[in-house]
Amino acid sequence: MASGATLASNSALSGARAITSAGRAAADADAAPILLDVRGVTIQYKTQRHLVTATYRVSFNVLQGDRFVVLGPSGCGKSTLLKAVGGYLQPTEGEIRLKGELIKKPGPDRIMVFQEFDQLLPWKTVFENVAFPLKTTGTLDSKAAYERAMHYIEKVKLTKFAHSYPHTLSGGMKQRVAIARGMAMEPDILLMDEPFAALDALTRTRMQDELLALWDDTRFTVLFVTHSIPEAIKIGSRILLLSPHPGQVKAEINSVPRGQESSNEAAALGREIHDMLFADQIEEAPNA
Amino acid sequence: MLEAVQRANIIYSETLGPEQFGIIQKPLTLAEKVYNQAWLRKIAILVVLAVAWEIYGRWLDNPLLVPPFSEAMRALIEDVGNGTIPARALSSIEVLLVGFATGTLLAGLLTVFAISTRIGTDFLETMTAMFNPLPAIALLPLALIWFGLGAGSLVFVLVHSVMWAVALNTLAGFRSVSMTVRMVGRNYNLSGLRFVGKILIPAAFPSILAGLKIGWAFAWRTLIAAELIFGVSSGQGGLGWYIFESKNQLNIPQVFAGLLTIILIGLAVENVIFRVIETRTVQRWGMQS
Repeated sequence: MASGATLASNSALSGARAITSAGRAAADADAAPILLDVRGVTIQYKTQRHLVTATYRVSFNVLQGDRFVVLGPSGCGKSTLLKAVGGYLQPTEGEIRLKGELIKKPGPDRIMVFQEFDQLLPWKTVFENVAFPLKTTGTLDSKAAYERAMHYIEKVKLTKFAHSYPHTLSGGMKQRVAIARGMAMEPDILLMDEPFAALDALTRTRMQDELLALWDDTRFTVLFVTHSIPEAIKIGSRILLLSPHPGQVKAEINSVPRGQESSNEAAALGREIHDMLFADQIEEAPNA
Repeated sequence: MLEAVQRANIIYSETLGPEQFGIIQKPLTLAEKVYNQAWLRKIAILVVLAVAWEIYGRWLDNPLLVPPFSEAMRALIEDVGNGTIPARALSSIEVLLVGFATGTLLAGLLTVFAISTRIGTDFLETMTAMFNPLPAIALLPLALIWFGLGAGSLVFVLVHSVMWAVALNTLAGFRSVSMTVRMVGRNYNLSGLRFVGKILIPAAFPSILAGLKIGWAFAWRTLIAAELIFGVSSGQGGLGWYIFESKNQLNIPQVFAGLLTIILIGLAVENVIFRVIETRTVQRWGMQS
């Protein structure tokens, strides 16, 4: 009885917005130009003993102003995919283009925000950390870098701590500095690799709200990797669902509109995503 | 209210007010505060040792073996006053600085070479494995043949004593720089020497500083030992030579004065200069391991 109800809601939802691997969701297809074009990307890397295929023929497009979330269980290659977009890894097959340009190496047009707190340079103050990329890449001179850095530090509400060293900050504050540092570069796309995963639940919720508030403010494009379904629904405007080992696109979903992350619709979407991931585990079990 | 408590399944309990406690916070007595100061306790130990030395020296009554503490202090003050010890110390420190700076520079070049190529790493590892266990002073006979009696030989052994310790620690530091920090650096298009200068060196600074401290300690000990062996270079030797000379003239209080000077300079560098660098850098950055 219960499964029947789930099935019904599943199909209803699928009709509305979830379109499996074939292509992107249709709802806002004509809204903005394609910024990031990931086409048929297979990534393999070598460990000491194995050649691991992390993702297999993954394709998706990120449009200008998207909050694009890559969601999947551990081991689906989502972080590897993000590193490839960052230019740290080369795909063995397929290509990744940013504004039509093939991505070959890391660059300041794609700023990474990591999960680890040690991504801030401990020998620099909050302000120096935010201004560092602006100066070293020659984006801005000292004076302009100062103003830009202070502007973004204010946006993440850390003006009082601008001249503190990172080790005196809490985990949430460090991540806010990292976000400010990324945003201050005003990159084409911000790449966030589970930036809130190491935070406690309360801080995490607050950081999600703050990130969305920042997005409302500046409409930056973000590619966000997470393994948390509620986080994906809350943060994402679009969600790419990856299957584990190796990561393949299972579905591309339009999330619920902003501010409705606690609605019934969001809960139903959460259940649907959960079922898709869960189904996958059942399929895998006999093979293993 | 009661209904609410039952429905929420909460059991409240009473806490005592602050006025109901005997002591919450009370200042320590003066004696306790004094005893809590580590440096005061250490000075007390030194005073006790000096007094024991003085008593033993007077009881022995043989200034050729152990002159009393007061004699040694008198010799120290006298020779500091007439400029002998400062001049000798200065000449030691001069040679030391040249050797230390050269050694550190070479270590830096070697380490940069080591992190940029695999063969460089192998070279550094092999050389360190070979030379690190070799006391620099053992090279002095060779150095004397190659560079003659003079500052050249001293600098050679000093470079040897500094270089491997600094290179080894710097390489270890570079290697322990986290993947995240490296990726952050590469994200901003940093590569080559800019990457080393802006990311690796500051990120590895705790290790580099530890290497410099070890290098300094090795160099200071090596220098004094080398000076004891020959020491006279240009006109007058350093502190090691001062000790050797005083011993030959049976001025035993002067020997002790020389030893005390070496201890004092060593302490000053380790506890003042390196401490200041530490508080201004790794401690302020919260990077002290």
